[in-house]
Amino acid sequence: MAATIAGVFNPELQNLIKESKVLLVGAGGIGCEVLKNLVLTGFSELEVIDLDTIEVSNLNRQFLFNKESVGKAKSHVAKTSVLKFNPNVNIMSHFGDIMDTKYGVAFFNKFKLVINALDNKKARSHVNRMCLSCQIPLIESGTMGYNGQVEFIKKGVSMCYECNPRSEPRTYPMCTIRNTPKEPIHCIIWAKFLFNQLFGETDEDVSMDEDGKIGSEKLSARNWAIQNNYDPKKLFKKVFFDDIKVLLNLEHLYAEKNIKPVLLDESLLDQEHTKYSDVLDSEMLTLEQNISMFWDCVTPIKEKWERSANKCLVWDKDDDMMMNFVVSCSNLRSAIFNIPFKTHFDIKSMAGNIIPAIATANAMIAGQIVIHALRILRGKFEKCQNVFLRSMPNHKGGVLVKDKCIQPPNPKCNVCSSKGEIVFVTDMHNFTVRQLEELVLKKKLNMVAPDVTMLDRVIISSDETDGVDMYDMTLSEAGMTNGCSFDAEDDHQNFRVKIIAYDKEKSGEEDLDFEILNNINDLRTANEQNNKTKPDENDEDDDDDDEDDCVIEQAASPAGSTVCDNNGGAVNYVMVDEEEIGHDEVTEEIGNEEEDTEKISNEEVDAEEISNEEKLAIKRKADEAIEDINDAKKSRVD
Amino acid sequence: MASELMKNGDGEMSKDERKVYDRQIRLWGFDGQNKLRATKVLLIGMQGLGAEIAKNLILSGVNSITLKDHTEVSILDRCSQFLIPRDSEERNRAKASLSSAQKLNPNVKVIVDTTPIEENVDSFVTSFDLVIATECSPSTYKRLSENCRKSNVKIFIADVYGLFGYFYQDVNSAYSLYGEIFPNNAEIDTLTSTKKLPQLYYLTSALLKFQSDSNRKPNPDTSEEDIEELKSIIHLQINYSSSDQENKDDVFEEYYGELFCELSPTTSIIGAMVSQTALNTVMNKPVDKYNVFFYDHIEHEGKFHLL
Ligand SMILES: [Zn+2]
Repeated sequence: MAATIAGVFNPELQNLIKESKVLLVGAGGIGCEVLKNLVLTGFSELEVIDLDTIEVSNLNRQFLFNKESVGKAKSHVAKTSVLKFNPNVNIMSHFGDIMDTKYGVAFFNKFKLVINALDNKKARSHVNRMCLSCQIPLIESGTMGYNGQVEFIKKGVSMCYECNPRSEPRTYPMCTIRNTPKEPIHCIIWAKFLFNQLFGETDEDVSMDEDGKIGSEKLSARNWAIQNNYDPKKLFKKVFFDDIKVLLNLEHLYAEKNIKPVLLDESLLDQEHTKYSDVLDSEMLTLEQNISMFWDCVTPIKEKWERSANKCLVWDKDDDMMMNFVVSCSNLRSAIFNIPFKTHFDIKSMAGNIIPAIATANAMIAGQIVIHALRILRGKFEKCQNVFLRSMPNHKGGVLVKDKCIQPPNPKCNVCSSKGEIVFVTDMHNFTVRQLEELVLKKKLNMVAPDVTMLDRVIISSDETDGVDMYDMTLSEAGMTNGCSFDAEDDHQNFRVKIIAYDKEKSGEEDLDFEILNNINDLRTANEQNNKTKPDENDEDDDDDDEDDCVIEQAASPAGSTVCDNNGGAVNYVMVDEEEIGHDEVTEEIGNEEEDTEKISNEEVDAEEISNEEKLAIKRKADEAIEDINDAKKSRVD
Repeated sequence: MASELMKNGDGEMSKDERKVYDRQIRLWGFDGQNKLRATKVLLIGMQGLGAEIAKNLILSGVNSITLKDHTEVSILDRCSQFLIPRDSEERNRAKASLSSAQKLNPNVKVIVDTTPIEENVDSFVTSFDLVIATECSPSTYKRLSENCRKSNVKIFIADVYGLFGYFYQDVNSAYSLYGEIFPNNAEIDTLTSTKKLPQLYYLTSALLKFQSDSNRKPNPDTSEEDIEELKSIIHLQINYSSSDQENKDDVFEEYYGELFCELSPTTSIIGAMVSQTALNTVMNKPVDKYNVFFYDHIEHEGKFHLL
């Protein structure tokens, strides 16, 4: 440890390193590297927290773990591993969720510095708020593939994690998924929905239940499957033949479209079993092989489902049978809608939202994090500009590039500025207080335990002993009116925001349940655009017939997102370019994308610092993650 | 290891390997991974920077890596060498690193070589696809660069001084040899007449000159004298080079305080940058327009240059 050897650092810095208590949130890809760097540099008062356990696919980069440690808690194993090369350091490891209320202000206040090495937006926002509230400097980080970034956050000095709205995940209209798929991703999403419908927690999955409406008095797929004892061949016939016939009967669905399902050959219903076990995951299966794969996976999944605690399975890309289910269903549906097949490997990327991850990008980001940490300890905040790691050198040869100066806080930020307010638009006669809490405050605004008051009247209370229960009321029944304002706050995060609510009657099924805007001008702009676009609404995607109000949040691309180091997490979906969708080779696409980025920067020869386009490209790739409904549940279980 | 093969033949990637490499195959593809699996690497120097490079290359799944170091573990290794367990009885750096290095990835052959590179014949490098050298003397780097050029072996030369670090690469035999860029003269004359040199070139050149004069890197024990020595070298070099660089030696004031030992944040950055650039070269995506990379720890910027 460098700080114990005289002459390596100046004495002032040497002491600061030895004495400063640092919290590391996350012991994954970046976390392992940061922990190593901190310990070697001589930091000797550390706490590390992570809620994950080690998986095989972590081992190509999370070097503090090996095969024997698979299944164990990351935080504990990481600690044990670094103690081997430096036993003289105090590390407290926590196997838990940083959003747990037991890690409150008192916990955070122990630290001189917090480092985020997280993989999801929700936890990042949470730590951001905790650090703002405790006035502790925070280093935020992320990588995706070859790209990465380090951001410095300090209340009143720099932008916070939430100063600029982070991009939202790509969404797909439900009707496209259900009736008019055009791309492999649509079929993959449909396959995951089918899985949920058959084996998952259907009662929460409104969109799927409505599926029964198509053929007026049909049973839900789940009940049908139960009645037929999940017979693979019957299920195959029902889902890929009978249901398609029903769709075809709804002529209006396909009347004006160039998309139309084509029934598969009936002879496939009792085809011979076709061997597929020797096909590599990078090779394409035939139609017959997909059918056999489907027949083979239904029963094992059904057995697992029967054994599961409350007869509910959560789809998991690392479960071979569940993965085969999605591969075969997605390709079979593609066959019906004349969409190209995808390989097992590619479907796993898209369905699992896997973010590619490598050791080197994490190590570079982790090195920069500790250099920032050294500057922060000495109070040299002005030296802590955001740093971006590029996949290829820019026109000036730069690979690690920085902002020219610290980005000042956004005075209108909802989180770090007291002047922030949010515009919330919904149909107050239908939207319930429960939806307000779950969908708006928790899911959208990342609160943990929200309280809502309007003119001193409590509408939602995080304290059950208050006995406030207005959850089943609509907002209008709870006393809200068009243009009213209320306060939402989270004591734990010390975060409060003023929300101005507008009533907007839901005019059609395609309307969103609610909208969140940063200010009233956005509402006006949105309305104007809405009015303008109304006439030509009939273009392909978002149309007509059997629309649901449900919009599916899904990662867009093969480079989509999961499990990794700073962004993915089994937990997340990432926003990626639309161009990246629907290609055949994941790796190729990434290559192309880089070249595009390169082109952009070449054109701006005289830009001194990193251009906004570059930054956005890197951020988009390296930073954006949002929770998937299923995976979020999974993370709570840990 | 009894791993199930996906296809017949020893050369194919096993299912186990596919699982471990999954996240990177999704970045550089099966082709890229297979190229790495065929690559034999020589890594010279097992201090902190060597440990980082070893870690990155072993994790990536190269075919084999030879860890070459004849020197003994020192207390300064504690600043950045994480592969040597504190309770190791081994004195040799490469031997002491072997067990942790091998554990990172059982699919890679990790070999230890304790013969000094100076004692190997010039053709030694030809048995490797890739040579990465750290912690050698400037004259050894010069010789290695020439030998690799002759044998068409790709070479990377990297060093870290405190929080500052750089590397040189020769991946296409198109540009200057190491010794041409860093001639180790008291005056810098070979390059300056034609090119405007990046500031950090002077710092690097002075550090190398210091190293060849004193036969060691700057040391924390003698930090004050060493800083003075470096300052006078820089002053001389700058004065002998182009005239429009007045007062330039002042710009390094901030840098001097953090030039001792190999410090972990920068071994992490340089080790990863040199590793990834080397891996990309193996996968036919070399950074071929440049030959030197500097990491600026004060400005925290990492840039390639063509010198
Ligand atoms: Zn903010």
